[in-house]
Amino acid sequence: MGMGRVVAKRGVYAIMLIFIMTIINFFLFRIMPGDPVAMMVSPSITAEVRQILLTKFGLDKPMHIQFIKYIQQLLQGNFGLSFTYQRPVINLVLERVPNTVLLLLSSYVITVILSIILGLIAAWRRGGKLDISFTIFGLWMHSMPIFWLGGLLLLFFSVRLGLFPVIGVSTPWLKHENIFSYMADVAHHLFIPMMTLGIGNIGGMFLITRNSLLDIFSEDYIMTAKALGLSNRTILFHNVLRNAMLPLSTIILMRLGFIIGGAVTTETVFTWPGVGLLIYNAVMQEDYPLLQGAFLIITISAVLANFLAEVIYGYLDPRVRYE
Amino acid sequence: MRSIRKFGEQYKESKLGLLGLSIFLLFVFASAFAGVLAPYPIGPTQGDRNYILKPPSSKYLLGTDELGRDMLSMILYGGKVSLTIGILATLITAIIGTLVGVTAGYFGGKTEEILMRFTDVFLVIPGLPLMIVLASLLGATFWNMILVIGIQGWTGTARVLRAQVLSLKEKLFIESARSIGASDTRIIIKHIIPNVLPLIVAQMVLRIGSSILSASSLSFLGLGDPTHMSWGMTLHYAFSVGSLFSNFYWYLIPPGVCITLVVLSFTFIGYALDQIVNPRIRER
Repeated sequence: MGMGRVVAKRGVYAIMLIFIMTIINFFLFRIMPGDPVAMMVSPSITAEVRQILLTKFGLDKPMHIQFIKYIQQLLQGNFGLSFTYQRPVINLVLERVPNTVLLLLSSYVITVILSIILGLIAAWRRGGKLDISFTIFGLWMHSMPIFWLGGLLLLFFSVRLGLFPVIGVSTPWLKHENIFSYMADVAHHLFIPMMTLGIGNIGGMFLITRNSLLDIFSEDYIMTAKALGLSNRTILFHNVLRNAMLPLSTIILMRLGFIIGGAVTTETVFTWPGVGLLIYNAVMQEDYPLLQGAFLIITISAVLANFLAEVIYGYLDPRVRYE
Repeated sequence: MRSIRKFGEQYKESKLGLLGLSIFLLFVFASAFAGVLAPYPIGPTQGDRNYILKPPSSKYLLGTDELGRDMLSMILYGGKVSLTIGILATLITAIIGTLVGVTAGYFGGKTEEILMRFTDVFLVIPGLPLMIVLASLLGATFWNMILVIGIQGWTGTARVLRAQVLSLKEKLFIESARSIGASDTRIIIKHIIPNVLPLIVAQMVLRIGSSILSASSLSFLGLGDPTHMSWGMTLHYAFSVGSLFSNFYWYLIPPGVCITLVVLSFTFIGYALDQIVNPRIRER
C-alpha cells in the first residue's frame, strides 16, 4: 500500500468523521431543553431579519428539513449569524484562528522541547534524584489547573513586576514602523500565555516521553554500545535519539489533536482574542449560533489535525504503508 | 481475603501510593468535618462587613472574600463540593465505560465494531469545548455539571476494559460456564465484571482527578453552580473580583493549591494501583 492509498483511506475516514460531527452538532443544539427557534434567533433583532433567518435555516419547518437546510447553508459557508456581534459566525471564528494557532503551536513547541530534554535526563538517570524530581514535577503539572497557573504567572510577572502586558495580542494604539517592531510587540504579549500552556501541558507529555525513552534505553543495542565503551555523547546522539525519533514523533503528532480546544481557559485568563475567548464570550452572552458554529469548527479542526498526524505518521513509518 | 492482604502488601511498597492516600484521607477528613472545623459560616449574607477582601490576619487566618467571608471556611466547605462532583461524575464515566467496553469485548463482531467506532468518534471531539457546550445548553447547575463531566471521559475505560474482556472470555472458566448453559448476562455479571473490577476501580481513581480539573475549568468559565461553592467556583469569584490586578493572593492561592493537591493525590493513588492491577505494566 503506497502513500497515496494511505492518504485516500484516511481522507475518506476524516470526511466521514466530519459528517458525523456535523450531525451531532446539529442535533445537540436542537434536542436540548428550550425553544430551538428562540435559541437560534435573537429576540432583539427586527421582525424582518428574524423572518429571513427563519426561512434561511427553515426553523419553522420539521426537523429533517431543518437538517437539510443546515447542511446546505454550511456547504455555502454559512455557519449562522451571531446575536451579539450581528455578524456571520464563520467570519468571527476565522478572524481569531491565527491568534489561537499562534498560541497553541508556540506553546506546543515549548512543551515538546522541554519534555524531550527532561525525559532524556530522567531516562538516562533512571531511579536517580533527577528522575524522581522530574517525575514528581510532571505529576504536579498534570494535576494543576492551567488557568490557575496562568493567573499566578500573570499576577507575578505582568502585574507585580510589570515585565509583560496583561491583556491582548498586541498594543492597540501603537503605530508600528515596520513588521519587526510589530512582531516584537506580539512576542511580548505572547510570552506569558505561551509559557502557561507550554509548561502547563508538560505533565502528560513528559511522562510519555520518559516511558518511551526508557524502552529504548533498555534495548540490547544500548547495552552493547555501553559495553563497547562508546562515549555517552555517541550513545545519546547515535543510538538513543536516532531510535527515539519514530516513537517520539508519533507521540508529538498524536497529541496534536488533543491540544485543540485546550486553550479556552488560558485565552480567557489573558484576554487573548482567539477562538477560545470567542467561545467564552458566546457562553456569557448566551449567543448560541456563535457557540454552535465555533464548536463545529473546533471539532472539524481536531479531525483534520488527526488526519494530518496519521498521514505524516504513514510517511515516517514505512510499516504503515506496506502492511 | 488473601488477595486483599496481598494487594495491601503490594500497595504499601509504593511510596507515591501511600503519600497520595494520606493526602486524600486528609482532604476527606477536612471535608467531612467541615461543619465542625470551619471557624465561620459561609452563607452569602453571613460575611463580616468590616472585613471585605482583607489579607490573612489572626482573626481570619486565610483572609476574606468580597462578601467578608472567611477563606479558610470557604476552602473547608468547598472541598466537600469538589470531591462530590469529582466522584459522582467519575461514577457515570465508569458506568458508561464499563457498559461499552464489556459489551464490545464480550460480544465481539458487529456489536464490537459499532461500539468501538462510536468510541473513536467520541475520542476525537475536544473534551472541554464539548463540556462547555453541554453545560451551557443544559444550564449551570450542580447536577448538570456532574452529568456533563460524566458523559465526557469514558473512552479510556471502555478501551481498557474491552481489551481485558477479550482475553478473559477465552479463559477456561468462562468456556465451562458457557458449556453448562449459563446465559450471557449471567456470565457477564457473575464472571466477567468481578474479574475486571480492580481495573475499573484503578481507571476510576485515575479519572477522578481529571473530573475535578474539568469541574474547576467549567466553574472558572462561569458554568458552575453559584449555590454550591466548590474550589473552582471560589477561583471563579477570585478572578472576577480582579484578584490578579489587586493582588488578592490569599483569595487566589488556597483554592488552586487544594485542587492541585487533591488531583495529585488521585494521580499518585492511581499510579500505584495501575502498577498492581494493570496486566500490561505488570508484565514489563
